[in-house]
Amino acid sequence: MFAQFFGAFLLNNKLVSPETLAQAIDDKKNTRMRLGVLAINAGLMTAEQVEHVNVAQQSIDKRFGDLCVDFGYLTNSDVDRLLSEQPTDYLLLGQTLVNNGTLTNSQFEQAITAYKDQYQLSDDDISSNQNDKLSAIVKDFFHFNTAENARIYTDYVTLLFKSFIRFIGDDFTPMESSVANEAEAQYIVCQKIHGKYTAELAIACPKEEYISFAERFAKEDFMEVDEYVNEVVGEFLNVNNGLFVVNESNQSGIELSLEPQHYVHDGKVKFEHQAFCIPVAFAFGEVEFYISVV
Amino acid sequence: MDFTEIKILLCDDSMFARKKLRMFLSSLGVVNISEAADGEEAVTKYKEVQPDLVFMDIVMPKLTGIEALKAIKEFDPRAKVVMASSVGTQSHLKQAIVLGAYDFVQKPIDDAQIEKIIRNAMK
Repeated sequence: MFAQFFGAFLLNNKLVSPETLAQAIDDKKNTRMRLGVLAINAGLMTAEQVEHVNVAQQSIDKRFGDLCVDFGYLTNSDVDRLLSEQPTDYLLLGQTLVNNGTLTNSQFEQAITAYKDQYQLSDDDISSNQNDKLSAIVKDFFHFNTAENARIYTDYVTLLFKSFIRFIGDDFTPMESSVANEAEAQYIVCQKIHGKYTAELAIACPKEEYISFAERFAKEDFMEVDEYVNEVVGEFLNVNNGLFVVNESNQSGIELSLEPQHYVHDGKVKFEHQAFCIPVAFAFGEVEFYISVV
Repeated sequence: MDFTEIKILLCDDSMFARKKLRMFLSSLGVVNISEAADGEEAVTKYKEVQPDLVFMDIVMPKLTGIEALKAIKEFDPRAKVVMASSVGTQSHLKQAIVLGAYDFVQKPIDDAQIEKIIRNAMK
């Protein structure tokens, strides 16, 4: 999930456009990591040194790694280690943006350093997908620390993003959150969780995005929105909310119940209390998620 | 195991959830599959079909899965009802065990787990 927030970081810092990012997310599955980006990420080489080797390679018929060793930038064991490591998703995204000319090596170096600094991330945190680090990013990114129930918002949204990756796809970028009293859209699915606290959750989006979201979850093709498509989107919300309720029961001893979902077409849903609206840009379009906890 | 002889009742208010489970059961060779879309219908269908095994969601309209389980066990104490729900909390588990549920699976449902449950139930 670090790749999704790295994408959002690049977007927020105007280093990429939404269109370029969407294309890069799509292209990264075919991207092969290059030693230069790996060495910059590991802090073993600067962007300037990578550029120097790139230029030298135009006149010397040697591999990039061998030249790095010749120039004293890397040792042979550095090269072996960097090339043997499994590339993380955010690095593949970075490499794709360098490959297509959106970022220079220097811009990538600055961006990855600033991203890691902002969230105090190490490569170990990223490669092991550390849950507490992910939660810290979610909390900070969506400004949940300003909310009374920050822990609940953070845990819920962290799980929601994991559910996207598990059931919908990893080709999404979280966007800046806002505060809302109601959701208004062509299609809305809502569900309430109640018990020690009450949470209202909703998914809202236009028709095409609604259909695409359902297609991803059901692994089926749909032409129109009907009762079945509604139930597919409703089941995604139900499964995610069920997992959340089980986590709350197992980890915090909080017993909660789910109400059946309800569906709104071309209308509004008013929340009893202020909700966070979290837009998420998928490759097929933008979907809004609402969460209100009291 | 001859799956064609087994009668299974699927109880879930989600048409999608029923379809997914039905597709998997069909792929195993199960042909006698009945469906119920709420807790009340689940009890009625159970009495009508008398299935070998029931998969029961918990959050359903009219009667919840837990209430339907209670009614089915009152009608047939030997009924094998598997609670298949997105909300497998400790309290739901306790209630289901007390009422005599055969097993409990958390959604999203894992096909291999379902097959194992059916094989065990039919031994």
